[in-house]
Amino acid sequence: MSTEAIPAEKPKRNYNALFGLTLLALLVLLWIILSVATPSFASANNISNLLRQGSMIAILAVGQTFVIITGGIDLSVGAVVGFATVIVAMLINAGVPVFIAILLTLLVGVAIGMFHGFGIVRMGLPPFIITLATLTSLRGIGLLMTNGNSISINNDAFQLFSRSSFLGVPNLFWMVILVGIPAYIFLHHSRWGRYLFSVGSNAEASRLSGVNVQRTIYMAYTLSGLCAAFVGVLLASRIGIGNPTQAEGWELQAIASSVIGGTSLFGAVGSVHGPLLGAFILATINNGANLLNVNAFWQRIITGALIIVIVYFDGLRRRGK
Amino acid sequence: MTSTAQELHPAPTLEPGRTILELKGLEKRYPGTHALKPVDLAFKAGEIHAIVGENGAGKSTLIKLLTGVMPRTSGDVMWEGHPAALATPHEAMALGINAVHQEVVLCRHLTVAANMFLGEEDSRFGILQQRAMVRQAQKIIDDLGFDLPAHVVLGDLTIGQQQLIAAARATVRGTKFLIFDEPTAYLTRKEADQLFTLIRRLKGEGVTIIYISHRMEEVFELADRVSVLRDGTLVGTRTISETSEPELVRMMINRSIEQIYHKEHFTPGAAIVEARNLSGKGFENVSMTVRAGEIVGLYGLIGAGRSEFVTTLYGRHRKSAGQILWQGKPVQVNSEHDAIRLGMALAPESRRDQGLCLNLPVGLNLNLPIYKRISNNLLISNAQEKTEADRQIADLRIKTPTRNALASSLSGGNQQKIVIGKWLAHGAKLFIFDEPTVGVDVGTKAEIYRLFGALLSKGAGIILISSYLPEVYELADTLHVFRRGKLVATQGFRTADHEEILTQALAEKQEKLGGQT
Ligand SMILES: Nc1ncnc2c1ncn2[C@@H]1O[C@H](COP(=O)(O)OP(=O)(O)OP(=O)(O)O)[C@@H](O)[C@H]1O
Ligand SMILES: [Mg+2]
Repeated sequence: MSTEAIPAEKPKRNYNALFGLTLLALLVLLWIILSVATPSFASANNISNLLRQGSMIAILAVGQTFVIITGGIDLSVGAVVGFATVIVAMLINAGVPVFIAILLTLLVGVAIGMFHGFGIVRMGLPPFIITLATLTSLRGIGLLMTNGNSISINNDAFQLFSRSSFLGVPNLFWMVILVGIPAYIFLHHSRWGRYLFSVGSNAEASRLSGVNVQRTIYMAYTLSGLCAAFVGVLLASRIGIGNPTQAEGWELQAIASSVIGGTSLFGAVGSVHGPLLGAFILATINNGANLLNVNAFWQRIITGALIIVIVYFDGLRRRGK
Repeated sequence: MTSTAQELHPAPTLEPGRTILELKGLEKRYPGTHALKPVDLAFKAGEIHAIVGENGAGKSTLIKLLTGVMPRTSGDVMWEGHPAALATPHEAMALGINAVHQEVVLCRHLTVAANMFLGEEDSRFGILQQRAMVRQAQKIIDDLGFDLPAHVVLGDLTIGQQQLIAAARATVRGTKFLIFDEPTAYLTRKEADQLFTLIRRLKGEGVTIIYISHRMEEVFELADRVSVLRDGTLVGTRTISETSEPELVRMMINRSIEQIYHKEHFTPGAAIVEARNLSGKGFENVSMTVRAGEIVGLYGLIGAGRSEFVTTLYGRHRKSAGQILWQGKPVQVNSEHDAIRLGMALAPESRRDQGLCLNLPVGLNLNLPIYKRISNNLLISNAQEKTEADRQIADLRIKTPTRNALASSLSGGNQQKIVIGKWLAHGAKLFIFDEPTVGVDVGTKAEIYRLFGALLSKGAGIILISSYLPEVYELADTLHVFRRGKLVATQGFRTADHEEILTQALAEKQEKLGGQT
C-alpha cells in the first residue's frame, strides 16, 4: 500500500552538483588541452591574465543569473559597467576619497537596478524593453558627461589594486570569491533565494502563498545593477580610465555564461557556481584562441556553437535521457 | 487524418463485444518511479470501461501511453488485432484514439473555435476561414448541448468549461476510441450531466470509451465494466452489475473505509471573519460570518462568484464596497500579504495557475508560505525545511520519490495535496479551501476531511468551496448558495435536501456565460 514510504532510487537531485562537476571537468579539460597545445598557456602570467579576464564577466553573470531565475533578463549590465567607470573616475578625480567614491558608484548601480524594478513592477514594462532602454540611454548619458572623451584616473593606488595579487592569486579573482560566497548563501540558503525561484516558476502562486513578488523583482534587478557597478569599479581600476563605451557586449557574455552554467531562460532554474564556471570557460576559450592565433571572427563562431552544444546536452539530461 | 487509418486497416465492423484494443504487458518506468507494471487488459468495442485507482496508481500514465504522449518502456498495444507503435499523438489520432486529458492541454490564448480545429484548420489559399470556423464550432457545441460561445478566448472560460471544450474537440475527429481522464473534476452537476449525455450518445454511435474518475457514483452510473489499478498493477476487472462500491474501494486501497465524510461538530466560538455587504468584481452585496470551529460551505455553479468572493476577502482583488471585520474589528485587506498577516490562508482553485510552482521541488512548494518561520534573519534552517516538508508528505500521503522531486512529476491528485498541504503548517485562523479535493482519491479525501476536523478543533474556521454538492452538504455547518454573484440562500447542516439546494443554485434558466469563475 502506498501509505509507507515509496521505494525510491537514489535522490535525483544532486543534479545541480553533478552539472557543476561536469562544467568543472570541461574547464579542466580545456586547460589541459591548451597547456599541451601551446607553451605560453600555462605560464603564470597568462593564467593571471585569464583569471582577470574571466573575473569581471563572472561577477556580472552572477547578478544576471538572479534576474534570469525570476524569468527576466537584464540587458543593461554592459552599459552600467561603462557608466560606472565614468562615475568612479570623475569622483576620484574630484578628490573624493577612493572608498567613498566606490561606495557612491555602487549606489548608482543600485539606483539603476531599482529603476528597472520600478519600470517592470509599476509601469508594467517587459524586462527586455526597460533594460534595453537603459542600455542605449546610459551610454548616451555617459558620453554627454564626458563629452565623448576618456577620463584618466589620477590615483595610482586605485589602479594598483587590480594589477596586484594576494597569495599569488590576482586580486580580481579574489573579488569573484568575495561576491560568489554571499551570492551562494543568498540564493541557496536564504528565503529570498527561494522566492526568486518561486517567482520565476509561478508568480501568481507565489503571491497567493504570501511571497512579496514585487519586492523580489526589485531585489533581483537591484542586485544585478549592484554587481554591474562593482564590475565597473574593477574595470576602471584595471584600465585606469573612465569611458562610457567600455564593456560593449558584456551583457551578452554575461547571459551566455549564465546559460552555459545551466540557467534556464524560462526562469526558475539556476545556481551561483554554474555561471561562474561558465564565465571562466568562455574566458579560457577566448584566451586559448588568442594564443593559438585563431582568427577573432572564428572565436565568436566557436562561442556561439559552444552555447548551443552545452545547452542542448543540459536539456537532454534534464529531460532524463 | 482518419482516412489514412482506414487505408491501413479496413473500417471496423463495430460488432459490440469484439476486442478493439488490447494491452500486452504494457509497462512504463519514469526515472525513480515504476508507474505502470506490465498490464494486460482488453477493451471491447462499444463499451464504457471505467478505470479507478488511488492517486499515482498509474491511470494517467496508461492514457499517455495509449495516446502517444509518452513512449512506453515495454509491452505491446494491439489495435484491432494489429500491433500499434503509438509513438506520437498524431499516430494515435490517425487510428481514431483521442483523449480528454486530466489537465486541459489547449491553447489558452486562442479562441474556442481555433482550439477546436487546432491542427486541422479550415483554410482557403492559405487564408484561415475564421468566421466559418467559429460558425462551425458553434454548431458543434450547440449540437452537443453545451451552453458556450465559440468566439471567446479559451482562457476566459472556467476550467470546467474548458474541459467541456476539450471534450467537444475530441469528438469531432473521427474518434473510435475516446478516453476521459477525470473529466468531471471541475464540472458542476449540470455540466457533468451534459457530458454524460454526450458520452452515452458516443457509445450509441459505437465509440469505445475509457472513463477515469475518483467518483464512484459516476462509475456506476456510466460504465459497463471497471478495472482497478493499484501501484501500477492491474488488480482486477469487474462487470459493473457484479460489483459494489465497497468492493472497488477495497481493491483500490487494500482496506475498507467506513465513512468518507468525516464530520466533527464543535460549538462555534467567536466570529473570526465577517463580510458585510461586500461587493467586488463578479459578486455583489455578500454578507457572511465564519466562526471558530465552523465550516462554512459555499455552493453554486461554476461562475457563480464564489472564488471571486474569497479572493477578494483574501486581498487578491479590490473590493468595490462593503466592509471586512476580523475578530470583530474592521480591517483593510489590501493585499494577500495583509490577509496572511491577519491569519488567513487560501488554497486556490486552479493548481496549475495559482497553486503550484510546477518546475520546482515538492518541498519548496510545501514550505513556500512558511519560509519566514523556518529561517532566522538570514538563513533557512535546513533541518526544519526537511522535517516540515516530510511531515506534510507523510500526513497527506503525497506520493513522491523524495521531497526534491519536481512538482510537475507528480500525479494530478498528488499535486492537489501539495496545494492543501502547504497551508496546514502555517497556523492560520481562517482557512479558505477552493475546490480542495479535485482529483483526490477516496482514501485521501477522508484523510483531508479528518485534517479539517483537526484544524477546527484548534479553533480555526474554514470556508469550503465546492462544486461537488455531497462534499459541502456533508461537511458544512452553514451552507451558503451563490447564484450569479449573489448569495441567494443559507441553510444549516443538512437542513435542506439536495434537490432544494440545486434549485437554489440554478433558479431560472441559465444564460450563456461569457467567462468568469
Ligand atoms: N513525468 C513524470 N516523471 C516522473 N514521474 C512521473 C511523471 N508522471 C507521473 N509520474 C509518476 O508516476 C506515477 C503514476 O502517475 P499517474 O499520473 O499515472 O497517476 P494517476 O493514477 O493518474 O493519479 P491521479 O489520480 O492523482 O491523477 C506517480 O507516482 C507519479 O509520481
Ligand atoms: Mg491522473
